[in-house]
Amino acid sequence: MKAYILRRLLLTIPLLLGISFVSFVIIQLSPSDPAEVAVRVNEIVPTDEVLALTREQLGLNKPFMTRYADWMCAVAQGDLGRRYVDNKPVAQELARALPPTLWLALTATLFMAVCSVGMAFLCAMYEGRTVDYLLRSFIFLGTATPGFWAGLLLMWLFSVKLNWLPTSGMQGASSVILPAATLSLSYISTYARLLRNSMVLNKQKPSVLYARARGLTRGMIWRHIFRNSLQSTLTGLGMSLPKLMAGTFVVETIFAWPGLGWLCVTAIFNRDFPVIQAYVLLMAVMFVGCNLLVDILCAVIDPRLRARGQA
Amino acid sequence: MRKIGFVLAALICCLNISACQNDEKSTAQAQRTEMVYASTKDIRIINPHLYSGEMAAQNMVFEPLVVNTPEGVKPCLAESWEISPDGRVYTFHLRKGVTFTDGAPFDAAAVKLNMDAIVANKPRHAWLDMVNEIERNEVVDTHTYRLVLKHPYYPTLVELGLVRPFRMISPNCFINGQTKDGVSGYVGTGPWVLTEHKDKQYALFTANKNYWGAQPKLQAVRWRVMPDHQTIMLALQKGEIDLVFGADGDMLNMDAFNALQKEGKYATLISKPIASRAILLNAHQPVTKDRAVRMALQYAVNKQAIVDGVLNGTESVADTLISSTVPYCDLGLPARGYDPAKAAAMLEAAGWKLGPDGLRAKDGQKAIVRLYYNSQNAQERTLAEYVQSDLKKVGIEMKIIGEEKQAFLDRQRTGDFELQYSLSWGTPYDPQSYLSSWRIPAHGDYQAQVGMERKEWLDKTISQLMIEPNEATRKAMYKEILTYVHDEGVYIPISYSRTKAVHSKALQGVGFGVSQYEVPFEKMYFENTPAR
Repeated sequence: MKAYILRRLLLTIPLLLGISFVSFVIIQLSPSDPAEVAVRVNEIVPTDEVLALTREQLGLNKPFMTRYADWMCAVAQGDLGRRYVDNKPVAQELARALPPTLWLALTATLFMAVCSVGMAFLCAMYEGRTVDYLLRSFIFLGTATPGFWAGLLLMWLFSVKLNWLPTSGMQGASSVILPAATLSLSYISTYARLLRNSMVLNKQKPSVLYARARGLTRGMIWRHIFRNSLQSTLTGLGMSLPKLMAGTFVVETIFAWPGLGWLCVTAIFNRDFPVIQAYVLLMAVMFVGCNLLVDILCAVIDPRLRARGQA
Repeated sequence: MRKIGFVLAALICCLNISACQNDEKSTAQAQRTEMVYASTKDIRIINPHLYSGEMAAQNMVFEPLVVNTPEGVKPCLAESWEISPDGRVYTFHLRKGVTFTDGAPFDAAAVKLNMDAIVANKPRHAWLDMVNEIERNEVVDTHTYRLVLKHPYYPTLVELGLVRPFRMISPNCFINGQTKDGVSGYVGTGPWVLTEHKDKQYALFTANKNYWGAQPKLQAVRWRVMPDHQTIMLALQKGEIDLVFGADGDMLNMDAFNALQKEGKYATLISKPIASRAILLNAHQPVTKDRAVRMALQYAVNKQAIVDGVLNGTESVADTLISSTVPYCDLGLPARGYDPAKAAAMLEAAGWKLGPDGLRAKDGQKAIVRLYYNSQNAQERTLAEYVQSDLKKVGIEMKIIGEEKQAFLDRQRTGDFELQYSLSWGTPYDPQSYLSSWRIPAHGDYQAQVGMERKEWLDKTISQLMIEPNEATRKAMYKEILTYVHDEGVYIPISYSRTKAVHSKALQGVGFGVSQYEVPFEKMYFENTPAR
């Protein structure tokens, strides 16, 4: 098992290096001159003199590979460069924006887990009946509604009309409810459908019939069905946290939530390349890390996977 | 039945809670001394000598020696001043007893330190000739400061009163005697003090208790950051914010403004014409390099329809690039009204013949032009569509291409466009700073004008104009420049833009400053604000 984990860990290094290189190359391919961008975001007129000075300051006059090597060396030491907009360290900005996004993503995961499990249970229990149809219609609507629209509707209803929650901003615990609900909406629909179908299939299995014949209570039977239906949903849920964090652009912008998504959107609009590069790298690390964790967990549960990995 | 009763009881409880919250809110509103202003942008770095912060916020904290007002330049931190007969030496008599909010005295030494820091960062102020014109600056005595220029630069006082860069920051905030690489704090002499700032969330400005001038009527202004326009509208409806203020669709698009105006629940205000909205025609591109085409386009665009249809009649049609109300610009230049028949005749006469496909062509060159706009500005798209339909009527195909702001700016630098949307900087920058910027190759104006026969003369004349001491000669030079540009048809003037404000009816004293970038918070108050 240790060898398996070690091998998987070692494999992530070239993967991350590859991702960092690709992100660096893609940004270099941008038609905008980084020096000009750095000057423009500070509302300075990009004269030749200013551009030359900025190029030198940012090290843009060095060869491509030297710049990449410099960047990677700095990243290894925790230095992700400085923002063009205000010259603040990018690492510090990411560290500042990470907790709000984590808070938002974790709350959304909680909403997602509670709502999708609850809805799947109800749908499976009342399969083919009004409750099932109603909830499935709601699920369908949830999948089809764009995030920004759902967010504005929720804001209008719960904030403006009912006056229960603040419209936007990060002001106390209640302010996370609307953005988290918006963020989790499409995921709730996906997982509720996945779990419902799995539960409907499982409840028709002979083992359930046998359980009934043994005289097990209704609650015990449903617990059994639920546990057996979780496998695919859990694997998906494991990857949901990084996906949620990477998908907060729209929600954070609508709800003025000072997290990673908003930071990245602003950086994209300003072409603040150091921030974009660092964001891509951070997301890659998160996806690779979560993937690794899920794989290791699966291998712990199922020894056959370890054997397959060795083959 | 019991279930229904339970649900009803829960609903009533919720409504009660909601009603209680409303009651609490109205009690709080009765004694409000803090105003909430919503902005799509954070205040960012408000170092008064740099350009990466919000101008409205810089204007709250930092003050200049003199200030621009609708009545002209007035004293601010300088009580009075004298100008030498040759127009090169400005001697300022500073206001006594003024201190920065950290207790540092405001005196001639502080002014010199600030001016030296600005001059030390000359490349950053390339757009402003004034910085290049400073020969030296001296401390005469504690309360007398002297500025010596290389030439008699006529807009000196106006430019000293701009929001940046000539504003005073406490010497304690300097880092190694400079401000170009950042400052250690934002301390000024202004009516407001920045007491709290949470990046991308809010900034809290409190009234400066020791302010030398009239005290602000409010105790605090909370600057809330809300990047989405719809969220701002909903927050306004909920009463979370009191004021939305902005120009050119950056805070409010016209549809939202009109909807709020019609609703009648809020007060809406529109400023006097403040800047010029125009379409820039590139005289350095295959189709638009032909002066006849540019002139025909002047008659092909229905400006009135744009003002009525896109801007909902809130702006006035522009006959000339700069409004006649702007100094030096009342020149009686001929207006070119909507006349598609005349436009078609002009194109025909210039050899642009109509083909079977409905498009004009000359020497194998089809009359196809591209208009680029900043895709973040929804208003520009609609405006472009109006122009597109007008041009089609005279046999010119216009392609509309929305680009991200940075790409749009990149295109200005390269000059790879036929048409572009253009907005002047408005008062007090117009006309001198606006014209001055035409000489910078990074600007779309420069790129569009490069194709003009007398571009070199134009740039040279603008440079001379800035240091021309004689008022009559200066007037004549402005006339010559603006007439030439008008005759060349490089701009299609559309309208004179205005700043808009929407606020809760309880908020009083809302008005506009001289510049579209300033928000005069210090005059605002709530109906029930306790007297201070």
